[in-house]
This record gives sequence, structure tokens and C-alpha cells, in this order.
Amino acid sequence: MKQFKRLTTPYMLWAAAMIVVPLIMIVLYTFTEEGNSVLTFSFTLDNFTRFAEGTYVNVILKSFRLGLLTTGLCLLLGYPMAFFISRFSEKTQALLILLVTIPEWINMLLRTYAWMNLLSDNGIINQLLGLLGIDPVTMMYTDFSVVVGLVCNFMPFMIIPIHTSLSKMDKSLIEAAYDLGANKIQTFRKVIWKLSIPGVLNGIMMVFLLSVSTFVIPKLLGGGQYMLIGNLIETQFISVGDWNFGSAISMILAVIILVFMRLMKKMDPQED
Amino acid sequence: MKKKSFFTRFYVVICLAFFYLPILVTMIFSFNSSKSLTNFTGFSLRWYEELLNNVEVYKAVYVSLSIAILATVISTVLGTITAIGLSRSRKVVRELLLNVNNFPILNPEIVTAIGLMLLFSSIGMRKGYTTMLLAHIAFCTPYVITSVYPKVRSLDPNLANAAMDLGATPYQALTKVILPMIKEGVFAGALLAFTMSFDDFVISYFVSGNGVKNISIVVYNMTKRINPTINALSTIVIVVIILVLLAANIVPHLRKKSLNRNHRRNTVIAVVLVAALCTLMIRMGITANGKHVLKVYNAGEYMDLSLLEQFEEEYNCTVVYETFESNEMMYTKLAAGETYDVLIPSDYMIERLIKEDYLQYLDWDLIPNKKNLMEDVVNKRYDPGNRYSCPYFWGTVGILYDTTVVDPEDLDDGWELLRNPKYNGDLYMYDSERDSFMIALKALGYSMNTTDFDEIDAAYEWLIEQRDTMAPIYAGDDVIDNMISGNKALAVVYSGDASYIISENEDLDYLTPSQGTNVWYDAMVITRDCSETDLAHAFINFMISEESALSNTAEVGYTPTVSSAFEEMKESDYAGISSYVPQIENPKNEIFGYQEPKVKQRYAELWTKVKAQ
Repeated sequence: MKQFKRLTTPYMLWAAAMIVVPLIMIVLYTFTEEGNSVLTFSFTLDNFTRFAEGTYVNVILKSFRLGLLTTGLCLLLGYPMAFFISRFSEKTQALLILLVTIPEWINMLLRTYAWMNLLSDNGIINQLLGLLGIDPVTMMYTDFSVVVGLVCNFMPFMIIPIHTSLSKMDKSLIEAAYDLGANKIQTFRKVIWKLSIPGVLNGIMMVFLLSVSTFVIPKLLGGGQYMLIGNLIETQFISVGDWNFGSAISMILAVIILVFMRLMKKMDPQED
Repeated sequence: MKKKSFFTRFYVVICLAFFYLPILVTMIFSFNSSKSLTNFTGFSLRWYEELLNNVEVYKAVYVSLSIAILATVISTVLGTITAIGLSRSRKVVRELLLNVNNFPILNPEIVTAIGLMLLFSSIGMRKGYTTMLLAHIAFCTPYVITSVYPKVRSLDPNLANAAMDLGATPYQALTKVILPMIKEGVFAGALLAFTMSFDDFVISYFVSGNGVKNISIVVYNMTKRINPTINALSTIVIVVIILVLLAANIVPHLRKKSLNRNHRRNTVIAVVLVAALCTLMIRMGITANGKHVLKVYNAGEYMDLSLLEQFEEEYNCTVVYETFESNEMMYTKLAAGETYDVLIPSDYMIERLIKEDYLQYLDWDLIPNKKNLMEDVVNKRYDPGNRYSCPYFWGTVGILYDTTVVDPEDLDDGWELLRNPKYNGDLYMYDSERDSFMIALKALGYSMNTTDFDEIDAAYEWLIEQRDTMAPIYAGDDVIDNMISGNKALAVVYSGDASYIISENEDLDYLTPSQGTNVWYDAMVITRDCSETDLAHAFINFMISEESALSNTAEVGYTPTVSSAFEEMKESDYAGISSYVPQIENPKNEIFGYQEPKVKQRYAELWTKVKAQ
């Protein structure tokens, strides 16, 4: 099947021009900024020691905690959803998947504003609680509000790949498992779950990557004190204008994520 | 399969409800009679009416939609063939390409955005529709590959071989055997690509220019005072999608019989239609009518846009109007080689632009309306003698307080009011490094432009102590809606925003602290590269005419620099609203100055600590 190998050529050229070159340019800029002579290697030392300081480590830890929490919740809630959807007729499945995707076409900022509206101290939820005679609950600017916003926003990215895996599954395998005497739990664990792992990993990767570098939603729903790594990078690039440090941070982030993905790949049974 | 259990249906419905809850709220508030997004004051179609008259939104819809469609089609094709090719490649190539492919996904968007912006600038591409499209293809394709590749991998590698042994050509093997097997993956990838492209802001913002904006860019620039027109737009989008879905589900039923035979022809017709639509859209987007073009770059929600139309009519020209979220964002674009004619930045940024030689002298002879300017707003330290800049709006920073909660005696404490334990947990700080440090420095009696690291550290301690004792929320522009709803008793705000907030919530009042504050000026400047200097001067002159200034301040709510407009509004719309009249007599007041990079870095580092530790 060697004929198909050439199919990668266009994308290789494209990726070189549109992904690799811009990255190299950023790195080059970091060496030449603010009147430094062209190759100042102080970049490596300075920015990394700066980063090692407690605050920035805290920021990155917080980002990862939040990323993991969001990914975990999305998996926990999204897997059943994908599973249930895959049990409907093919036509209904297509419709349901579309219904899951459509909210993402509405501007993210607007949806986040709507959440602020729902969760705020005088918000819709608290007004409803008031009607029931329950005291208002502070939900805005807490972990709760941030996680709700992130899960609502990113869960479709978990559901879709899992559903893709599940829908492709040969249904006779499940029947075979039952015929061979497996109960529901065994069938799920040994057959369905195993076969859906590529989709699960894909979903985890997508949600994790999106949530670990996000900053707009946490900033709006959690307030400015919700400092995350994406936020830090944005500040360095835009308001401080310190591209050196900005790209140093994003490189650290990229390395950590690459390591993380390596680990994920290890869990994929189909990878050789 | 058995009948679906109640629980299955219930779970699916609950999940969808969770996704649609915010959208439902968005839709409801599109019918709100007031601008607020938190208080429903009554039913009205006002925002739909405004939407009908908003050309900017039309254009943005066209840009978002056509870019999303084109980028989806191209990246799906590119991504799918790459994924198929990858499964046959050597391991080294595959690993390498998959890792490179992951970069746009795992890098924070801002890094990708700046990288692409640098790329386009360095090869001299004019920023606009094409650059935006290329960038969207660049960040959508990786998503397609990630969703198609696992599908391809799970195929039996012998399938295609078998097909070809049976006499199929490689092309036939591809389209008749492989593609049908991976179509769910391709569909999922295309859906993802469309979703990512349609809702993208950061990358689009940095790689586009010359007036090309998508919906997200328009919305993000409205954050200052989010405007329900966009809610109206979203409602229409949702309704259109629902109609299309209904049609897609009903139409096939009606013509089930003829469907199979005509399937191929229908596909061809659909493709041709989409292609024609796209070409038409691209043509529509190009505005070349031979008129003079003036490019204006201003903060979001900071101008009465009808003035632009008036100006275009009067001078028979086209104004390309773009907006930024912060001065720094404007500077980043300018530094990357984007060209504009007229900018409207703030004082300290003007100082920087002058220092770095971005601006040209104003020819005041071409601006006869100079006589309209108030004495209070000219000849300030950022531009002595106003050689480069013509003041646009101005004001102070102060404390907005709830008169029903805050004890009048406490007001004498000025900035220390923000550390009064009585109001613990009851305040919003402004999430801005310079303004927060300004507060601390002023409270301690230092200059807000200090470069003395000991003073800066003392201010840092002040802020840390405030954070630990008061548990403030560092909010952005959401403070506006929050204060209108009366969520907290105290907030740090700009005087112009205060005027608007007080006009919506009468319980509030504005305090200009006695320790001195930041007096700020935003002014119009002409860039060095400006090719339409006469038109640029005419524009500045037009903006400070008595009529323009009046309708501008009426719309935006900030204090104008033209005396007649100021006097008139003071007596009418903003009568009795103290923040409308900036209190600038205090000799301790200052204007922000340009910060050296080292100092700036120090402030940024400490501010991160205040917020993150």
C-alpha cells in the first residue's frame, strides 16, 4: 500500500510553512528583542530561573489541576452521554451529535456571559432559589463557576470522539459477549470500554489541551485572581511585551504536555 | 436493540439542557428592553432593529461563515488524505508529523497567533481575508487529522490491498473502500473544524486587518459594554440552524422515492451551490470602489458609529474602522507592521508611540475646531504643546460606592476605604496592573509613576495585605453589570464607566480619593505611515466639532473634550452624576507616564504574585 504514502507530502510542506516556520520565528524573536545582540543566550538561564520561582510554579500547578479536573468531569459525564447516543438509530444519532455541537457555534464569550448571568449573586438561579425560600448562594468567582463554565464549553469535545469510536463498534461483539455468559458490567469493561479507548484518549487529549491553556472563561467566571498559565502567557506577550519570557513559558508548557501525551500513548493498546 | 430505557432518555435530555441553558438565557436577553444582560426589564425588539441597521455585524457574519465553510472544506480534505497517508508512512515520519501536527493544538492560541502574524508580516502579505483563511486552515487541519487518524488506524490494512487485487485503482480503493469506512471520523473532524473556526477569536484578531472582522472580533470588542445586538444575532443563528435541521429531516421524507436515483446529481448540485455561494461571498468582501480610504483604530465601544457614516458622506470617502481591547493589544499589532491612519490610544501609550517614532506632527491649521477644546485637556505631560495629539475623551479613576451601604464618614479615608474591614468581601478591584499599583502607591503617598523599587515593593505589600484581609475580586469590565445589579458595595472604576453605571443604578455614587488619582486622556493621533494626511486631519477636526462631540458623549457616556458638549450634557443627561465632571484640582493627581521595560516587568511580576499566590 505504498501508493498512499505520498498523500502526506502536501501536508508536510504546509506544516513546515504554517506551523514550524512561525514557531521558529517566535523563538528567534525571543533572542533578538529589546536591542539585545542577535544571539543572547541569557534567554535560557534568566527566563527559566525566573520561572522556577514559587508564583509561576503555582500558576502552572493550578492550571494543571483545573485541566485535570475539567477533563475528569467531562469524561465522567460525557462518556455516558456518548454511550447513550450511540444506542439510538443512526439518524437520531446524527441529529443528537449535531445538537451537542451547535452550542459551540454560539460565541463562547456570549455563553460565558450567560453563565455569569445565571450564577451571579442576584442571578437567575439565586432568584429562583429565593422563590423557594432558600438563601442566595455565592457561586460566581469560585471554583464551582469556573468548572461549570469549562465543562459546559468543552464537554462536546469529549463526547464527539468517544461517540465516533462507539458508533463504529461491531454490535455483534456485544451480543457475542452476552452469549458467552458475560453480565452487563463485564461486557462493558471487557468489550465496550476496551474498544472505545482510542476515542476516550482522543477526547481526553482534546479537552485537556483546551482547558489547560484557556484563560478567557476562568478570567470571567473566576475573576482576575484566577491566574492560569494561558493568562500568564497572554500577559507576557501583550501587556508586558516580554516575548522572551512569554515563549519560555509556552515552551515549558509544551514540553510538559508532550510528556503527558507520551504517557497517554502508552495507555493506548493499539499503538505499536 | 431494545427500547431505550427511561434513564437513557433522561440523561441525554439533561445533558442537552445543560448545554442549552446559557443559550436560552442569551436568547431571552435578546428581547430585553435595556442594555443589561442580568436584569430583564421588559420585552422589546429594539436589539433586532439595531441588528438590521448594523453593517458591521452583517459583514462579520459573512466573514465568519465563509471562512468557516472554506476552512472546513479545505482542512477536511487536507487532513483526511494526510491521515490516510500517515497510516502507511514509516514510523519516524509518522511520529514527527503527528508531533508537529500537535503544536497548534497544544500551544496556547496566543503563541500560534503571534507566530502566524509574524509570518505574514515578514513575507509582506496584506492582512485581511486571505491571511485569516490561511490561518484558519492551519489550526483546523490538526483537529481533522486527530479525529480521522485513529479511525484509519483501526482499519484492517489489507482492505485497500484486497480492493486493488480485485482490480480497483488506488483512487477507487481510496474513495470506494477506505473513505466509506472512515466517514464518521471525517464527519467528526469536519464538525470540529467548523466549530473551531466559527468561534475563533485570538488567532483571527492577530492575523486579520484592513477592516476584516469575524463575529468573535466584533463581540470581544463589545465587552466594554456588551450589547444585546449580538444576543439577537445568536438567536437568529439558532433559529436558522433549527429551521435547516427541520428541513433536512423533513425534505428527505417527502421525496424518499426519487432520492436514491438522484443522489449523485443532488450531491453535485449541492457542491456547485456551496462553491458559488463562497465565491459570491468572497467577492462581496472585497471593497474596492476607488474612494479615499481612512483607517481608524480605536478602543471597542468607544465611538458613536453613526458619526463614521456622516463623515464618509461629507467627505466622500470610506472609513475602515477597527477596534482594540487594550492599548497594549493595539501596540502589538502596530509593532508587527500593521498600518493605520488615525489611532485613539491613551496618554502613556501616546508617549511611547512618540518616543518610538510611530507618529507624525499634527497640522493644527487643518483643525480649526481646535477652538472648541476645553482648557483642561490640552498641553499635558504626555504630549506638551499637543504637537502630536488631539484629546478625545478624558476622566479619572475612582471608587464607585453604594450609598445605602457605605458610611459617609468612611469616605474621608480615600483609597484606604478599600482596606476597611467593614467592607470585607464586598468589593471589586479593577483587574489592571497599573491601576491597582496606582491605588496602592497613592494610598502610601508616592508617585504612581515611581521607578523606585522600594516604593514599588511597599505598594506590593499594600496590595497583598488588602488581598488577605479584604478578599477582593479582581474583575474586568464585568464590574459594570455587577455594580448595576448591586452585587457589591465598592468598586474601582473609570469615571466614564461610573457615569453610565450611576445612570442605571441611582444608589451609587462616585468618589475621587483625596490622596490623588490617575487622570487620563485618550487622544487622536496620526501615524507616521499615514497616506491620507488631509483626510486624517479632516477626521480629527470632524470629531471635535460641537455636534459630533455631543452625540459621541451621549452615546458613549465618557466626558468629552469639547466645552459646549460637556456643558450641555452636564445640564441634561448626566445632571447630578458626579463622575461626569472629573475632579482634577487635586495637585496630587497624575497622568501615567511611559514605563521602561525593566520597570514594567517588575510591576507585571509583582501583580502576578498578588493575584496568583
